[in-house]
Amino acid sequence: MKLTLKLNGTPRSADVPERTLLADLLRDTFGMTGTHVGCDTTQCGCCTVHVDGQAVKSCTMLAVQADGCTVTTIEGLGANGLHPLQQAFSQCHGLQCGFCTPGMVMASVDLLRRNPKPTPAQIAEGLSGNLCRCTGYVNIIRAVQQASQAMQGDAP
Amino acid sequence: MYAFKYQRAESVTSAAAALSADDEAKVLSGGMTLLPSMKHRLIAPTALIDVARLPDLIGVREQADHWWVGAATRHQDVAAHVGLQKAIPGLAQLAGLIGDPQVRARGTLGGSLANNDPSADYPAAALALQADIITDRRNIAADDFFLGMFATALQPDEIITGVRFCTPLRCAYAKFKHPASGYAMAGVFVAQYPAAGADHDGWRVAVTGVANSVFRWHEAEQAMAKGTTTPALQHDDVIDDVHAPAAYRTHLAMQMLAQACQAF
Amino acid sequence: MNAVTPHALLRKEDQRLITGTGQFSADAKATGMLYGHVIRSTHAHARITRLDLSAVLSTVGVRQVLTAQDVQAAGFADLPNVLQVKDPQGQPQTVCNMPVLAHDKVLYVGQPIAWVVADTALQAQDAAEVAQIDYDTLDVVVTFEDATAPGAVQLHAQAPGNTSVKFEAGDRAAVDAAFAKAHFVSDIAIESQRLVGSPMEPRAVWAWHDETKGVTHVHTPTQGVGGMARFLAQITRWPHESMEVHTHDVGGSFGLRSTAYSEHLLVMLSTRELKKPVRWVGSRSEVFVSDWHGRALRLHGHIALDAQGHILAMRFENQVDVGAYNVYFSTHIGARNLSITMGGAYQVPALHMSSHIYFTNTVPVSSYRGAGRPDIAYAIDRLIDHAAHQHGLDGLTIRRKNFIPPQAFPYTTANKTVYDSGQFESVMDHAIGLSEPAGFAQRRADALQRGCLLGRGLAYYLEASGPGGAAKDQVRGSFDAQGVLSLHALTGASGQGHETSFAQIIENEIGLPTSAVRYLAGEPEQGLVGNGTGGSRTLYGAGSAIKNLCQQLMTQAKPAIAALWTCSEADIAHAKGEWQEAGGAKRRLRFADWITSLGAQAAEVHAVGEATSGVTFPNGCHIAEVEIHIATGVAEVAHYWAVDDVGLVISPEQVLGQVQGGVVQGMGQAFGEHAIYDRETGQLLTGSYMDYPMPRAGGLVRHFHHETHAVHTGLNLLGSKGVGESGCSGSLPALANAVTDALRQVGAPPIDMPFTPAKLWAAILASPHKP
Repeated sequence: MKLTLKLNGTPRSADVPERTLLADLLRDTFGMTGTHVGCDTTQCGCCTVHVDGQAVKSCTMLAVQADGCTVTTIEGLGANGLHPLQQAFSQCHGLQCGFCTPGMVMASVDLLRRNPKPTPAQIAEGLSGNLCRCTGYVNIIRAVQQASQAMQGDAP
Repeated sequence: MYAFKYQRAESVTSAAAALSADDEAKVLSGGMTLLPSMKHRLIAPTALIDVARLPDLIGVREQADHWWVGAATRHQDVAAHVGLQKAIPGLAQLAGLIGDPQVRARGTLGGSLANNDPSADYPAAALALQADIITDRRNIAADDFFLGMFATALQPDEIITGVRFCTPLRCAYAKFKHPASGYAMAGVFVAQYPAAGADHDGWRVAVTGVANSVFRWHEAEQAMAKGTTTPALQHDDVIDDVHAPAAYRTHLAMQMLAQACQAF
Repeated sequence: MNAVTPHALLRKEDQRLITGTGQFSADAKATGMLYGHVIRSTHAHARITRLDLSAVLSTVGVRQVLTAQDVQAAGFADLPNVLQVKDPQGQPQTVCNMPVLAHDKVLYVGQPIAWVVADTALQAQDAAEVAQIDYDTLDVVVTFEDATAPGAVQLHAQAPGNTSVKFEAGDRAAVDAAFAKAHFVSDIAIESQRLVGSPMEPRAVWAWHDETKGVTHVHTPTQGVGGMARFLAQITRWPHESMEVHTHDVGGSFGLRSTAYSEHLLVMLSTRELKKPVRWVGSRSEVFVSDWHGRALRLHGHIALDAQGHILAMRFENQVDVGAYNVYFSTHIGARNLSITMGGAYQVPALHMSSHIYFTNTVPVSSYRGAGRPDIAYAIDRLIDHAAHQHGLDGLTIRRKNFIPPQAFPYTTANKTVYDSGQFESVMDHAIGLSEPAGFAQRRADALQRGCLLGRGLAYYLEASGPGGAAKDQVRGSFDAQGVLSLHALTGASGQGHETSFAQIIENEIGLPTSAVRYLAGEPEQGLVGNGTGGSRTLYGAGSAIKNLCQQLMTQAKPAIAALWTCSEADIAHAKGEWQEAGGAKRRLRFADWITSLGAQAAEVHAVGEATSGVTFPNGCHIAEVEIHIATGVAEVAHYWAVDDVGLVISPEQVLGQVQGGVVQGMGQAFGEHAIYDRETGQLLTGSYMDYPMPRAGGLVRHFHHETHAVHTGLNLLGSKGVGESGCSGSLPALANAVTDALRQVGAPPIDMPFTPAKLWAAILASPHKP
């Protein structure tokens, strides 16, 4: 089945079997392997991308459902250098193995879009769809707080 | 998943026609329950009829003494609707407790109701809020809609187009989240309607996550009407599993009832 | 969005990982790649009476189907068991190895039976469904009682009573004598429940065979390419020079990626036969029933004290469930790791343990973060608290009285482990000082007002880091024409940030900026000797070799410096990356400047650093305050304080990251994680994230405070101790002691992990006193 979408700002087309997941389209057809598959019950969030500006789990969307949509993956974040969230994740040591990180960052970007000044509890709730096994989350929450301040123009 | 044909429906009518032409076809809305089942190869629809973009199925609208929510309306949009938050706070609150933010960006009301997972949230709202489930061919009262675990009164080719929730005097929802799945280990929706001519002085209490399907907790409704203490929940089919023995689950129902009532 | 220069990032690894340009094993593509799929047993214990794969083979896209016969014909061995022990009578352990593919019996749900390779992963999965398999089911045993009961069904003909071995360590007679004359005696049986490790990257492997060179290249996450290559060579029986293991980015491991699984062997066999690259990526549901499980231990600890509170002896009777087969490190866990530090940080004159290592119809068990050491630390400190309360003694006082004092090092324990260093009482006081003890009574009263029981628990853990099987650790360092130092070794990071720590060591030692250092460890390094990563030893193991490398580089260049200064080498001293002329003009030259000055000739500077670094003894004091909501049984960690002695710290942020990660994994085990098997059917009831509660951002500790208290160790050149697994060792007993303390307020007896809301609620409900 044919589909077209805008991927990280560029129009792309594909012709894939209907049962192709959006995550598979991104990884296999378009070679964007920054989006990861970590589970098969829609819980780990490693596959989180933005579709029409909203964070969604690309493993639980068919590629054809994204026809005509705007899709942003981790590769498309920070068009000039790094997004403040990417910087903050590194500076706050909010990643160790990095497997959950793209999904965690994409979920965080949407979190801050909806709530630019979240409390730690709101950050934790906003990341309830993302699992991390390495960091224990403490530094991830700090990273989102730091990025929020940076994006507000506050001193860190 | 198994292979299937995909079509984006042009209208509700054409979607219904596609369903009646193929009894193994299924409606696709948010896909948050349908797609995981397909990924695990538990079901094998021959075709998916995608209704998620049909404007007729999307929206949150006040209409006299009730609110209509389109079947393809995303949970996050129900949760964020300012008017709904004031008029039926428990419903907006419930929508905001489903799954996680990414799931709420995709999941829809119609999908949740049609699936009738014993631990899903929306069935409790539908039952407590005297909902009418509106399909392409009839209206089904919530009291008649939920028939058992994963079973509803829908015909195989029937499509939910929206749900009318009766605006209550007040309402609230409290949920104890399953620590792994995020579904309801016990979810209690309490709504109060005008007493005149109503059972239990207009109180309606619906419980999900506790038994094999959502149910009305009549003893709680009675107690609220009389101002007495609700007795411990009795039900023949309380879920008893490794996460929560039956006694704990019924206890949680009591806790969630108390928590919901704190809003009043 | 402003561009950020690389040095503004914390770690070298971060640039690629935060931009999604890391290389995980499922990311690779190769021309003509084929895809494998494993057909797994759906029964826990059964004879396979029919295995007809003809329909599979004739399905669209299928290139190959393999069964146990094919694996046998290829000459492959079974998966290894690394350590074999003897029982007290000298009888060798009955070792039952797992076959790559099941022969005529299956012993656990998920066990690999057959292998399908097709043009696409979906085709392989589709084809697998038409396999015709008939099973004759047998009785299932998943508990110790069921497995070892007289007349129980036997998994292995050669293992009566489903027993692999009854192993003992220590001095039983001395312990018995001590108990006979003890004033206080106490015991507690605890369970460290079976866990699913669940690194976020599902297991994956791909391989291709280079016909011209006769080398099979295997790309897979590991904890060191050398260790994996050895296992693969052992199983395939192919010459070791005919295979190479490559590891790129690894999405978490915690012990689970250090070993070869069936799929590794199958992709290797397929790629040689089909002459195309072959890849396998596990689904999460598959990984739940095929990654080795963790823990699954029951320890019954006994303690004997004299009238003054001195510990006279400790004894542990352990039940070690290894699952359906002996794989890899399960014996190591049950025999060595449970015993080596079984006295903990305490002076215990007599020690004894017995480990009954047994089989069940469950996924085999191997190392998972700590691999037995958190479990024995858990048992020890629960035992001490339990004994204290039972006899009206104070747990802190008992600890103080019995800590090995600083002047006693090096200290040889009753079972012959030699500890080198420690300041246990100082570390404990440091932790207590941070933890606002004076305010606890008020915090407890406030909690009660809010309908919560607040408990406080302290634990002092001591563990032994990995000994390392290799004779030494080596690191090869060489410069390129731009003066960039490349370091090569055989370690295997899965998030520990070795690239960053090792560059930091170089900068600390010889002043070369971290931006001029690259650490590479994912490629086979011919001629290098060294340990992979495991048992928390890489930082001090490879790190010491790096320090030695620096010393060599400084010394090696002396003739060149002498020539430069036209003086004799004897007149040149060096310290911390700078040469100093002893007399004359007292010239100085920094290593970093010298290397830059060489220009292209820098490529002639190289050396191999090496060091022999054995076991170290990280230790620390963790204190937790846990609040249980009476009405629902939900527990929250209100406060967590941790002070760890990890020796010299190279990278403070990463040490903190390791502790936080380990503590939260401990919280996962303490409050919910449990791989639960159905007793009748042997089905894994918690087979996905729907039923297995992984810690999430929301269920966290409210206040987490960590400090290090460095006690230098002379056991390695660097002076560091391990830290990777300490978070688990400290958190399990601290959290359990806190929960026990909370429950004690209502007279509820101690219970086992996981402390789920349902269990806590029931315990409070059944308790004699009302809150």
